[in-house]
Amino acid sequence: MNLPTTCAGLLLAAAAMASHAAPTSITLPPETAALKVSTLPGYAIAMQKCAICHSADYIQYQPPAMSLAQWTGEAAKMQHAYGAPISDDEVKLVGAYLAVAYGSAKAEELAPELRGAAVVAAPAVAQTVDVKQLLDANACLGCHAIDKKIVGPAYRDVAARYHADADALAKVQASIRNGGSGKWGAVPMPPFAQLKPEEVKALAEFVLRQ
Amino acid sequence: MSHDVNKTWLSRRRFMQGAGLMAAGAAASPLFGRQARAASVEEEVRFAGGLRELVQYPQKRPLIRVTTRPPHLETPFEVFNHGAITPNDAFFVRYHLANIPLSIDPDSYRLSVKGSVGSELSLSLADLKALGSPVEVVAVNQCSGNSRGFSSPRVFGAQLSNGAMGNARWVGVPLKTVLAKAGINAGAHQVVFNGLDTPVLPATSDFRKSLDIEHALHGDALLAWSMNGEDIPLLNGFPLKLIVPGYFGTYWVKHLSEIEVIEAPEYTGHDAFFMATAYRLPDNDCLCVAPGSAAAKTKPIAQLPVRSFITSVANGGVLPAKHGVELKGIAFDGGAGIDLVELSIDGGRSWRAARLGRDLGRYSFREWSLAVSLAGQKGAATLMVRATNRSGETQPDQATWNPAGYRRHVVESYNVTIA
Repeated sequence: MNLPTTCAGLLLAAAAMASHAAPTSITLPPETAALKVSTLPGYAIAMQKCAICHSADYIQYQPPAMSLAQWTGEAAKMQHAYGAPISDDEVKLVGAYLAVAYGSAKAEELAPELRGAAVVAAPAVAQTVDVKQLLDANACLGCHAIDKKIVGPAYRDVAARYHADADALAKVQASIRNGGSGKWGAVPMPPFAQLKPEEVKALAEFVLRQ
Repeated sequence: MSHDVNKTWLSRRRFMQGAGLMAAGAAASPLFGRQARAASVEEEVRFAGGLRELVQYPQKRPLIRVTTRPPHLETPFEVFNHGAITPNDAFFVRYHLANIPLSIDPDSYRLSVKGSVGSELSLSLADLKALGSPVEVVAVNQCSGNSRGFSSPRVFGAQLSNGAMGNARWVGVPLKTVLAKAGINAGAHQVVFNGLDTPVLPATSDFRKSLDIEHALHGDALLAWSMNGEDIPLLNGFPLKLIVPGYFGTYWVKHLSEIEVIEAPEYTGHDAFFMATAYRLPDNDCLCVAPGSAAAKTKPIAQLPVRSFITSVANGGVLPAKHGVELKGIAFDGGAGIDLVELSIDGGRSWRAARLGRDLGRYSFREWSLAVSLAGQKGAATLMVRATNRSGETQPDQATWNPAGYRRHVVESYNVTIA
């Protein structure tokens, strides 16, 4: 190897003249990219689970005209290679949504279960809402923890902020139902509009108890 | 570039933009194709979601946004026409994992050296600077996926045009000096590097890279704290970055915080995804497979192949029909050094050697220039550029293909209008 070795003093002097006090803290611009709206069942899953690890522009800047098989393969890669918390069924639903929204697939050509057409009315279930099951089913804990910030704020921090707020329950319910950004940082929270009112209420109460 | 069918659509579009500007009297230089592009961030790649935006990040000028989280920014190509050194604020940014450090205290920063070593170390920046005289190298950092958007057939991944590369003057301490300080055990085979960025989910692999012990002990790798005479921008790896001259950027670990020497012949396990699964090429002579097929056997991507670009005019640009039109650009390789740059203005039928610019070292961009006569040649023309390094390696006429779209280095073509 023949790298030129320069006099240490000279380099340090040059660096001192050239450098300004480098900021050691930065703030990133807000995240504005959003997934294409769709009535397909994979849309909500993509918003809630893909967004745990990356912004929507990862998807929108992929090549056009990728097929259903290619997009489903990509969703499977997220599950297997990167540990995305999505089930095998969700891989198919997400793949179908992405292939229709960004690729060459046509919604009307999808298998009925990928279109959400085959969804049967949910059987009557016990009236009590199981918060833990809701947290799991909606991947809430992908972005939130009880006591520390992950992508979103710790539930304990949310509870602390709204501690003295008479409208706390309404505000937290609205945040869960509609999503939002800017209150806790640049990363947006997706809306969870598919949840039933009593489920949203149970989740908000759970958060505010922390 | 001209081999990509997607190009036609864009060339015409860019030509029309250029024509509009010309009518407005806004541009008359050979560069105006680039100026037109800067206004709209028109790149040569088509995306499902349309054009990409210019966006300004801390310590950066407006760059092309590839992705927001994790941040991925591409350098607008016209930057490369302004010198062999890429300014820090124009240098591309690429992360793999969304938990990136946004605040770093250089005073409490420590690099740990551990594993199969005589004595484990915890070094401050001051300790590193005191290990010996600083070493300087000018070296190209090029993303493995630079130009991925031109893969044909197209592949998934960050859809990059040609701007995921840059050339900077790095100052730091040689890796081998740090390893010698720790003392390497006889059974050591790999050296694993880790930075401060971490995955969002525990299920996701960390971003860690490894080098063979021979490379680490005898190569030119550097732990750098200075980039073009300043602190490294945070998004490029402040306060310490692994520089692996001649190797693709995937090895240039940012915010380097941990070096682990291991005795396994290869780095494997949960956090080895970016060595063991990703960033690999077909293990054969051409490092390629038939388009659309999979590789039977793979190996980690490694050194930069020879590449060259014209920077003074863009694909779709316009050149004046006169004598003495100066074309210029850059060439680089994995460390043999550039020996020859040739230019064709007739689609590859004839070639002329360009004049090479100042030699900043064998790992650096090498500028080149050539005055050509375009008098009496009004109409469409195809410019091409190719380089040869001192080992006799050159660029392929047709692009090779691999499943991840890595390591593109085809002879570049530029369809221009002489007017």
